[in-house]
Amino acid sequence: MKKAVFALSLLLVVGALLAGQSGVTLKVMFYSPELTTQYNDMAKAYQAATGTTLDITVLQDDYKTVLSARLNSGDIPDVFMSSAYADNATYKDYIYDLTGQDFIKQLEPTALTGVTVGGKVTGYPFLVQSHSFIYNKKIFADAGIKTLPRTISEYEAACKKLTAKGIQPFATGFKEWWVFPQTAWQVLASIKDSYGGDYAKFVAALDSGALKFKNIKEMTNVFDMLDLIKKYGGPKPLESDFNDQCASFAAGKVAMIHQGNWAEDSIKKSNPSIDIGYLLGPTGGSAAKAGIMFDSNQTIRIAKDGANRAAALAWLKWLTTSDYGKKWIPEKINQLSPIKGAEASSATLAKETVSLLAKGTPSYPWFYQRFPAGAEQGLGTILQGYSAGQTNRQQTLDQLDALYTKLAKAQ
Amino acid sequence: MISARSKKRLGHAVDFMALTAPAIIVILVFVELPFLMSVAYSFTKWNGLDKVPQFIGLANYRELFTDDPDMAHAFVFTIAFTALMVLLTNVVAMLLAVVLDGGIKGRNVLRAAFYLPNIISLIIIGYVWRFIFSKGFDSFLNATHAGIFGLSWLGDGKLAFFSVLAVSVWQSIGFYLVIYIAGLQTVPRDIIEASLLDGVGSGTRFWRITLPMIMPSVTVCVFYSLSNALKSFDVIFSLTSGGPGTATTSIALDIYKTAFGAGRFGYGSAKSVLLFLLIMVVTVLQVTVFKRREVEA
Amino acid sequence: MSRFASRVLTAAMFVIAAVYLYPLFLVVINSFKTFAEITTNVIALPTRPNLDNFKNAFTLMQYPNLFVNTLLATAIGTSGVVLLSSAAGYKLSRTKTRYSWLVLILCIAPMMIPFQSFMIALVKVARFLHLTKTIYGLGIIYWGLGAPLSLFMYHGFVKTVPKELDECALIDGSSSLRTFFAVIFPILKPVTVSVVVLNAMWMWNDFLLPLLVLSGAKKSQTLQLAAYNFFGQYKIEWHYAMAGVLLTITPAILFYLALQKHIIEGMVSGAVKG
Repeated sequence: MKKAVFALSLLLVVGALLAGQSGVTLKVMFYSPELTTQYNDMAKAYQAATGTTLDITVLQDDYKTVLSARLNSGDIPDVFMSSAYADNATYKDYIYDLTGQDFIKQLEPTALTGVTVGGKVTGYPFLVQSHSFIYNKKIFADAGIKTLPRTISEYEAACKKLTAKGIQPFATGFKEWWVFPQTAWQVLASIKDSYGGDYAKFVAALDSGALKFKNIKEMTNVFDMLDLIKKYGGPKPLESDFNDQCASFAAGKVAMIHQGNWAEDSIKKSNPSIDIGYLLGPTGGSAAKAGIMFDSNQTIRIAKDGANRAAALAWLKWLTTSDYGKKWIPEKINQLSPIKGAEASSATLAKETVSLLAKGTPSYPWFYQRFPAGAEQGLGTILQGYSAGQTNRQQTLDQLDALYTKLAKAQ
Repeated sequence: MISARSKKRLGHAVDFMALTAPAIIVILVFVELPFLMSVAYSFTKWNGLDKVPQFIGLANYRELFTDDPDMAHAFVFTIAFTALMVLLTNVVAMLLAVVLDGGIKGRNVLRAAFYLPNIISLIIIGYVWRFIFSKGFDSFLNATHAGIFGLSWLGDGKLAFFSVLAVSVWQSIGFYLVIYIAGLQTVPRDIIEASLLDGVGSGTRFWRITLPMIMPSVTVCVFYSLSNALKSFDVIFSLTSGGPGTATTSIALDIYKTAFGAGRFGYGSAKSVLLFLLIMVVTVLQVTVFKRREVEA
Repeated sequence: MSRFASRVLTAAMFVIAAVYLYPLFLVVINSFKTFAEITTNVIALPTRPNLDNFKNAFTLMQYPNLFVNTLLATAIGTSGVVLLSSAAGYKLSRTKTRYSWLVLILCIAPMMIPFQSFMIALVKVARFLHLTKTIYGLGIIYWGLGAPLSLFMYHGFVKTVPKELDECALIDGSSSLRTFFAVIFPILKPVTVSVVVLNAMWMWNDFLLPLLVLSGAKKSQTLQLAAYNFFGQYKIEWHYAMAGVLLTITPAILFYLALQKHIIEGMVSGAVKG
């Protein structure tokens, strides 16, 4: 009798342990709701492979609010998402150091620049992305534009040709505050040349107040470009949002939008046969410096105090080394993967990014993510106000400086 | 030995507690306690995430009053928006109420029709109107070629103010309409009839008789609309996100952007305390003034 | 006014009402269209109205489950608010001491506190009390948020009820709580109706608090949250979004139309006399 009871309880304990292992649920918080289907697919595949469930909450506009509320109240997600660069400091109390994890060695070193602070790897680069002006090849050909524009004056010439053909050159996307940083800072991207090629030095100069936006003469180019896009952005340039950009571009109503390879999915959903490509953005006022913006910014973070940290790390390892994991980003998400030797995605813009880089086209990291927390939205909103005609150039520069100083102090 | 009187006092106290304690407890725990916590945060420099906020005394308040052009702008916007919103909703609602009370047919159907937008959640209203201002207006323009649909109602800073105002009024009128209709129904018919017999004009009748008699409704409606307008957030958030730039950013939206967009939680809390004080001062003033008017009438 | 003037005015009012409701009309007709039709022309009527969008939205939103969740949160919240604020509002109105006046201010002042200013701290408190991630917890939190206004309305209404009524009832010295609910509460029916309606409408439509409190609890989401996710996930697919919107607002509209008479009566006596 005693033996039976002992055996039974042993069985129960072992059973409980095993059940505990396979029955783990990871709490995950992601953004980019346009990828919800792909997130869920991946979760299903992982559960089939290991029995661990990924409970993924996907948000966008309120993502930061909800994440803050949860972290504050002690309801810590095992895995969450954030930007790279400045966010390394924002979430520092919650991030688990991934240096030394063997799966990190499987990632492209360039992808790790944004998440590495003082030699420590603070996050896992999720997507490698590029952004610049995306153009409709057929429309350009029909309008007789043979050489692709690379400076602001060349862009203006192209716009004139398009307008002559009755095509609206741009869908501005100016209703979204985030279109401004990605467009404006691309024009400024060669600023590192004044700092020995080091963006960190450039941002440090801004942070300390030694450098002010009003003293950066290249800001004129930024304003010129914003003005150009607005001028050729149709009758209601400030009302165009991301939806409008993708929809009108896909429908062939506009020739160019400033977006990234992440927009390709939405565009191709509306018009699978559209022929698109990247235009090199007008950087630094010279054709030789024109290029694309390329970096890994969307980052996966493992919570230091998450209840299931080991399981979370196991998941990241699977994502990096398993068959499904390696194919997930190129095939299902149709973007660029940070994993070494990952297959090329069949997505046009992703492929073009790779080939442009191979040709040695200038590519600039998303240095503006190094600005202090809140700067992306704050400065973007100020530039939006400029484009809406609320401030002139001098006032805009003053506002940029004032806000930057505040945010740098609040760090 | 407890005296009979103290026993009675105790009995009263227990009575009082039994009925009021539950309400007091939930209000304290779910509103006042969190608010006090926020007030505490307003004296810190905190990004909402760091485990330990940094105490900085009155620095946030100093910055708020001397160095925040965005807040100044939001303040002006909110005051202007509130003034127009309170004026428009109350005047239009009262007008509609007078018309509907004037014995026309189908009053209940009409009343329901105007109330409908009030039943829908503000987030949905924002999205629906975004759809209308963009796709809808494009179709209207094609159909009617009326220039008004070609204007940038959400993209131009000055026009956006009116768009946001219009949608907010559209959504809330039904509520006040119902209250005014009810108020009008409390005006004794014999007084109205007497005035008709005396040959009093409808304008004079309204100003001298009707309006004074419905002052309680006016007090209530102005109070609600005032406090809601000062706190306005939802419609603006989903319609324009406070844009373009900061053209339609209200104080509540500015607080949200400060705390969650810029990650300046301590500073955002200081702004919230300010908003609370503003609402309290304005509404207490308004109710006091109107209540006095009521008594005289 | 003359019969003619009356007829003209009636007609004018109906036209105004139609224009007023035009946005909702647009939502309705567009939810029956295909995506292509919406992109071409928003104001045209659907050529072949079909229910596909609704079927899709219904499944994608997990409508039945979320409907029950939202209903439960609203029911728990509303009933709690009614019970708590009626009792307290009544007692505070009848008790004319300095303390009761102070307590009254304490209970009503929260009406002026904007939600954004304390929502993060509220989530912290809620989690401490284990009220997050459940519909029941959400309902309980609503008690605290809804009590101030409702208490104010009960307080005002009770002032118009003659004291003799409750004094009669209290003569036999039975426990005050029992007396309250058995005798006084029924008298407060008009304002109770308006309190119920006001709170139910607000809780049914509420978005921000459920977003914060229910985050991460897939099975406990509400309809408004689903509609919001819908807009995020299917940003460009307006036909799904419109159908989703219609599905979300229909219960509230039906509720209103069914109880219209009572609602108006209740709102009137509660609000006007308050």
